[in-house]
Amino acid sequence: MMYRLEPQPHEWIDRSAPIEFSFEDRPCRGYAGDTISSALAVSEPYLARSFKYHRPRGILSFANHDSNTLFQVDGVPNVRGDVTPLRSGMRVLAVNTFGGLAHDRGRILDRCARFLPVGFYYKAFHSKRLFPRWERMIRSLTGLGRVTLGAERRLTPKRYAFCDVLVIGAGPSGLGAALAAAAAGARVALVDEAPRLGGASVVSAAERAELDAMIDEVSRSERIAVLTGTVAAGCYADHWVALAEPERMTKMRAQAVVFATGVIEQPAVFRNNDLPGVMLASGAWRLVERHGIAPGRQVTVVAANLEAYVLAHALTARGVRIVAIVDLRAEPESGAEAAACAAAGIKILQRHAPYEALAGAGGGVGALVAAPLDTAGRVDARDRRRLDCDCVLMSVGWAAAAQLLSQAGGVTEFSEPLRQFVPKELPPGLYAAGRLNGVYEYAARSADGRRAGAEAAAHAGFGTAVPASVPRTSRSPSHPFPIFPHPAAKNFVDFDEDLQVKDLENAVQEGFDSSELMKRYSTVGMGPSQGKHSHMNALRILARARGLKVRDLGLTTFRPMYQPMPLKLLAGRSFNVERRTPIDARHGSLGAVWMPAGNWRRPEYYAVAGESREQSIAAEVEAVRARLGLIDVGTLGKIEIHGPDAGALLDRVYAGKYADMKVGTTRYGLMLDESGVIVDDGVIARLGAERFYFTTTTSGSAAVFRELQRWNALWGLDCVLVNVTGHRAAFNFAGPASRDVLAALTDVDLGEAAFPFLAAREGRVAGAPARLMRVGFVGELGYEIHVPASSASTVWQALYEAGLPGGLRPFGVEAQRILRLEKGHLIVSQDTDGLTDPFEANARWAVSMKKPFFVGQRSLRILEARGPRQKLVGIEVLESAQAPKECHLIIDGDAIGGRVTSIARSRVLGKTIGLAMLAPQLAEVGREIRIRADGGELIAARVVKTPFYDPENARQRIGGAA
Amino acid sequence: MRGPVLDVEDGAARLGLKGPRAAEWLEAQGAGVPAGPNRWRRSPFGAAQRFLVARLGHTEFFLEDEEGGTALATVAAALDAAPLGVYPVLHEDFAFQMSGEGVHDALAQVCNVNFAALDLDSQPLVMTLMIGVAVLVVPEGADAARQYRFWCDPTFGPTLSEALGTVVVECGGTIRGVTA
Repeated sequence: MMYRLEPQPHEWIDRSAPIEFSFEDRPCRGYAGDTISSALAVSEPYLARSFKYHRPRGILSFANHDSNTLFQVDGVPNVRGDVTPLRSGMRVLAVNTFGGLAHDRGRILDRCARFLPVGFYYKAFHSKRLFPRWERMIRSLTGLGRVTLGAERRLTPKRYAFCDVLVIGAGPSGLGAALAAAAAGARVALVDEAPRLGGASVVSAAERAELDAMIDEVSRSERIAVLTGTVAAGCYADHWVALAEPERMTKMRAQAVVFATGVIEQPAVFRNNDLPGVMLASGAWRLVERHGIAPGRQVTVVAANLEAYVLAHALTARGVRIVAIVDLRAEPESGAEAAACAAAGIKILQRHAPYEALAGAGGGVGALVAAPLDTAGRVDARDRRRLDCDCVLMSVGWAAAAQLLSQAGGVTEFSEPLRQFVPKELPPGLYAAGRLNGVYEYAARSADGRRAGAEAAAHAGFGTAVPASVPRTSRSPSHPFPIFPHPAAKNFVDFDEDLQVKDLENAVQEGFDSSELMKRYSTVGMGPSQGKHSHMNALRILARARGLKVRDLGLTTFRPMYQPMPLKLLAGRSFNVERRTPIDARHGSLGAVWMPAGNWRRPEYYAVAGESREQSIAAEVEAVRARLGLIDVGTLGKIEIHGPDAGALLDRVYAGKYADMKVGTTRYGLMLDESGVIVDDGVIARLGAERFYFTTTTSGSAAVFRELQRWNALWGLDCVLVNVTGHRAAFNFAGPASRDVLAALTDVDLGEAAFPFLAAREGRVAGAPARLMRVGFVGELGYEIHVPASSASTVWQALYEAGLPGGLRPFGVEAQRILRLEKGHLIVSQDTDGLTDPFEANARWAVSMKKPFFVGQRSLRILEARGPRQKLVGIEVLESAQAPKECHLIIDGDAIGGRVTSIARSRVLGKTIGLAMLAPQLAEVGREIRIRADGGELIAARVVKTPFYDPENARQRIGGAA
Repeated sequence: MRGPVLDVEDGAARLGLKGPRAAEWLEAQGAGVPAGPNRWRRSPFGAAQRFLVARLGHTEFFLEDEEGGTALATVAAALDAAPLGVYPVLHEDFAFQMSGEGVHDALAQVCNVNFAALDLDSQPLVMTLMIGVAVLVVPEGADAARQYRFWCDPTFGPTLSEALGTVVVECGGTIRGVTA
């Protein structure tokens, strides 16, 4: 059982500031400076249940490198106990339990392990019939913390930041790098996940003094910005690094980056190596140094390097009894600490292995059974030796923390002498230092950091001196194969996923024999720790099973995030910059009910007291058909083209002919991509000999403008494009009374002869300079009026007030959709999709194949010869209680014959009408089709001609005969 | 005043020019033109007036009158003659200004340009995105008096200023002008 030591010289806790909190609804106490895990360590026999088998678990790494210490804290799931500071009043609960930590009903699964081998879900859940049952069961069993669906949204800021040299990791090498870069004149950002500088490695007293001196120098440097408590979460192109603080994400852009990310301690793999009390030696050191906690009263150390002896010696000095050091190696450790351990009478079992850990009272470790190793490294279980203890510390080796380096484009290779992946090739501006670089001795790490810092500064333009490189450590601190079989298994490689040695061996046997395949089949490295403690051992198992060396196997891809990341940090403030037309406030005052349209907000309809939504929309439609309506169409894209080649450009990018248009006319335009697919449409007006003005769809303006700019640059035509989408407002003033009402507000002659259907004019409306186009999207006499945004409010109000006595209603998007549907007008991207060409969309009339060239023409020739795969047609629904909806499928026998693209009830026609994309054999006018509606009902409909309403377009020429 | 300040402006006359002869035409009107793209200057115009000339590209300019100025009206009138190779561009931009202590902290939350590192002696013009909205930026002033003028499409103005206002207030700053 862990306990508090006497105050330690460098401890982080404030023993004069106790903190009360609860764990599993029992009162607990810690100190200011404690993390959740350290505070619980001294009072709880275990802290969690494992993911799959619900085995009791305690602290393993105390570095947030495993999922043993995830908690539900005040309703927030999966809080990382190892690194989350303790707060007063915290309510801490274990995750992944059924009935609480102590009485977790899920622990029965530990006895079912033989029925849950690796890949069992691939083999068990292939029945479609049974899958829903399995799905429900798995959903109820899996997952860690519980998401609180009603939790308040937490907005967190994001920011951009800049530095010359970014140093990731603040151990001896990182500190050295920061100091060297700053000394060269660079602005340095020094980042570390820990709340204090100094790193996490075991150091001697003399090294500690040197470290403190470096920390002091860093703290005094004006050129070094220190970001502690900050995770370097991901590295992206061009030296962008995501830095995550508890409540803020920083996107740091650096000229150069030094990776001093160190190494991650790896566990030994033996039976019951997951019992509470079995932990990594580096984690124990952090508990001692930072929190004044002894990892146990009787400790056994499993060793394969010097650090094990340094730690054993340090613990002995603090009064902890070291039961034995079980050294995996044949050669005794040299050095002062090893001699000191021997002198202190510590039993050292050379060339021995941990055979199994045995549980004691309370569920934690009660003993370690050690056994000798033969010359081939195999355990000789006949000569077992029981070592009673309440703690087993594992110090058998390390894996490079190369995740960030790899994300940044660094290439690593496996060093056989060092038994570690080390940097092989680094892109310009990236540098590695310290233990990540294979440099382990304290003084050498600092020197290697200074070398990397100087090089990084030079890359950023500060200084030129490049110190000599520091040689890598010659004796490996990592055991080549710290993995020991046991007939009863439960020797865990991956603590996140409860994966045992046999699981990985079986995966290889079943053919998943590359690191990538094994990962995906067995899920090794796919838990919250992303393989930090399992990846190396999994590679060793794979290599041995295949008779290869580790260096022959590839690493799996490291992707951001390096540590589990709260989604709130990724979401940030969730800025939603919505576009609003200049008369947004007027819409609001008229009762607009808003809807999103692309990135705009538009009135769906205008609510009127006493009317339902449907009644309001119907009344808006009726006003346009019978009297007068006014709609804000300012969301349309609006683009001008000036210059001698303006017509030629339009001829090339639209499917119709435009260069021959007369000034003062408009023409429909259909834009295609190179494959002949419809991508946009609009109305093109010729305002002058070298001046055109045209509209695009609401969502297409930016893309169309960008594409036209690109084409214009490629072709080198003598014309310029201007996007005035936001700078001009536009209204559609439509209905039989529109001409008469508008005439009183404008100096433009609206007479049929002077301003016929499809003409365009410039003049003034309500005193504002305006462009008027007589177009008929809604199928009535009407005028599109385009004015500068600053005049929009005045003009809208003048039109509204002038029309009101004659029964004008403003109308919204829904009414417009019905009105245009009655005319059979398509909406690009609603009635077309990513494969629809003009022949299929019944828009052959808008294409001029005789032109020498336009974008998509060549493809259209091929498509025309091939014939359509589908046809857009009008449909009317026959008698039915239920109205079909958009996207409902048309059923042809037992196959899908098409889909409804638009549908609405037309009051003026007295029936439900729509557009549908049908297989050609179903598209014949008069043919009956069946639409599969909600609930499976088949609704009869008939293919009909379009337009549904006013097929002769007489309504758009009202007054034409006068 | 402590903290960043967001000033939402309105009222100044603005105009754009585009076309292969825009630069020479503008110079012929007596306006000084920045030597290269992505530069700006305050150009003398006539005896007593000046206006801002921002060069957006080799052949594209953005002009803004000083407060109460009438220089652009003269320029616009000259454009009515439809000079060859010069085309007017309607500019009804939403304009605002950010300044004050901590302005760079506020800007860092909404834009990825390192404004603090700009060399203002070269009168740089920045065209970038601010929380996804295209903005034109003119930085002015030295050190603590540094201020930034922004222009963007007017349809983004209301929600962009709301978002900026949130950030500025969180940074301990102040909002002034039409949305204050």
